[in-house]
Amino acid sequence: MSLSITKLTAVNVGKDMSLEWRSRDVLNSMLFFALLVVVIFSWAFDPTAEQSRRMVGGLAWVAFLFSTVMALNQSWARELRNGVLDAYRVSPAPSEALFLGKCLGNFILVLLLECVMAVLFVVFYNLRSVGPLWQLVIVFLLGTWALVVNGTFFAAMSIRTRNRELMLPLLLLPISIPAVAAMVLATTNVLTGESSSLLQIKFLAVYCVVFTTACFLLFDTVLNAE
Amino acid sequence: MKTKLFYLWALITLGLLVFAVYQAAYVAPMEATMFDAQRIFYYHVPAAATAFSLFIVNCIASIIYLAKRSQWSDALAVTGAEVGVVFCLVVLITGPIWARYAWGTFWVWDARLTTTLLLWLLYVSYLILRRSSDAGSASVLAASLAIFASLDIPIVYMSNRWFRTNHPQPVIFNDALDPRMKIVLMWCVFAFMALGILIAWFRYDLERLAQRINAIHVQRAARGGSAMILLPAVALFQLTGHWPPIRYFHAGAIAAWLIYIVYVFILVGKLTKLRKEAAELGI
Repeated sequence: MSLSITKLTAVNVGKDMSLEWRSRDVLNSMLFFALLVVVIFSWAFDPTAEQSRRMVGGLAWVAFLFSTVMALNQSWARELRNGVLDAYRVSPAPSEALFLGKCLGNFILVLLLECVMAVLFVVFYNLRSVGPLWQLVIVFLLGTWALVVNGTFFAAMSIRTRNRELMLPLLLLPISIPAVAAMVLATTNVLTGESSSLLQIKFLAVYCVVFTTACFLLFDTVLNAE
Repeated sequence: MKTKLFYLWALITLGLLVFAVYQAAYVAPMEATMFDAQRIFYYHVPAAATAFSLFIVNCIASIIYLAKRSQWSDALAVTGAEVGVVFCLVVLITGPIWARYAWGTFWVWDARLTTTLLLWLLYVSYLILRRSSDAGSASVLAASLAIFASLDIPIVYMSNRWFRTNHPQPVIFNDALDPRMKIVLMWCVFAFMALGILIAWFRYDLERLAQRINAIHVQRAARGGSAMILLPAVALFQLTGHWPPIRYFHAGAIAAWLIYIVYVFILVGKLTKLRKEAAELGI
């Protein structure tokens, strides 16, 4: 019996999605958390429409980053509770499929979150983009992937440590700083329409390629670290 | 555990340091605009060079560890990261003191500074990861993180170069540097590199001993702690804007030496503890 990586990945994603659909633990807490961030910042700064166009790039990504961390911790903790990781270690299935499945699952969740939040940002901050919107779509896709791929990897690493949930942000944030800087700058550029964000998009693409490769090469090592 | 070679190296290092520090304080020519404050340079740059070299050692040792799983490469990786963090801390403390005089502000978010700060943060997270993992998996997890860290550094540097405008030009490695200053700088780089090797050597032996008595969970040194001690001292500069430049140099030098000495003391303390444990186990 041999299953291809694609098929295994699809099975993994399907399993995660149906688990999430039944409980909706992660999505609900992520959404509520991001909503709180939006409301609190709006209260704290009370920006005008012009100011908010400059602020929202940073604000949105901070909200997404923190809610992503929340989701990522949950995604592996569930597997640990049910002994899935041990089962996976002894099975002949390639660990890359597990990793890719997790990444895609988290990617879908965070994208869902972003779609909902985008509407809220427009409403709360009275937003209207001045630059080309299609660039924003690319920035969000690439940026989310950059966060999720590293995040999934480091979440797998941090559940192996003693302080589990606390460890993930400590590992993920320093590595993600350049990507977050690029995302924020690109988003601000599109919203204000002052300069092109093509350079940041290229940078994000390179970042995604480099770290996706590194994650795939090292995931097996981390899964089996003893 | 220490050989004659170690003591010989310690002697050479001491000689080099005395010579280099004397040169830096009295022999090197006065800089035209920054006066004595510029002498921090002779502490700042050698520490940076040593820190970067140690991080490279960490990266290479981590790769060797993942490939071979040999204990010595793991010990070398910890050594590189931990001693590198200490030297990097010296860079991050002396830099702002100098900058306060030269640029009028402690911190500028330019490519070099941001990269160094992030480098420090990355390796601190590396040390925290090592501390909080179980003895079995710590080395593998840490080695993987080390590879990510070394991938991140060039990316951080490039992103800062591309995304941030108006960063000051690197003032160090251009031809404008007085040749006499260059010679003193070279001596200082040699001396502090030797110091770095000496401390790393010591730390490496310590880690090997720790591995041998299976006491990997040892107290990690000099994370943010020593920086915190120095923070109030830095605040003094804010109150009085008109200190003579020599004060800045003294502050930088004292900060650097304090960090080195505190770290060595921590290591010696650790060694005594481990030795006791080793003696009890009869190693």
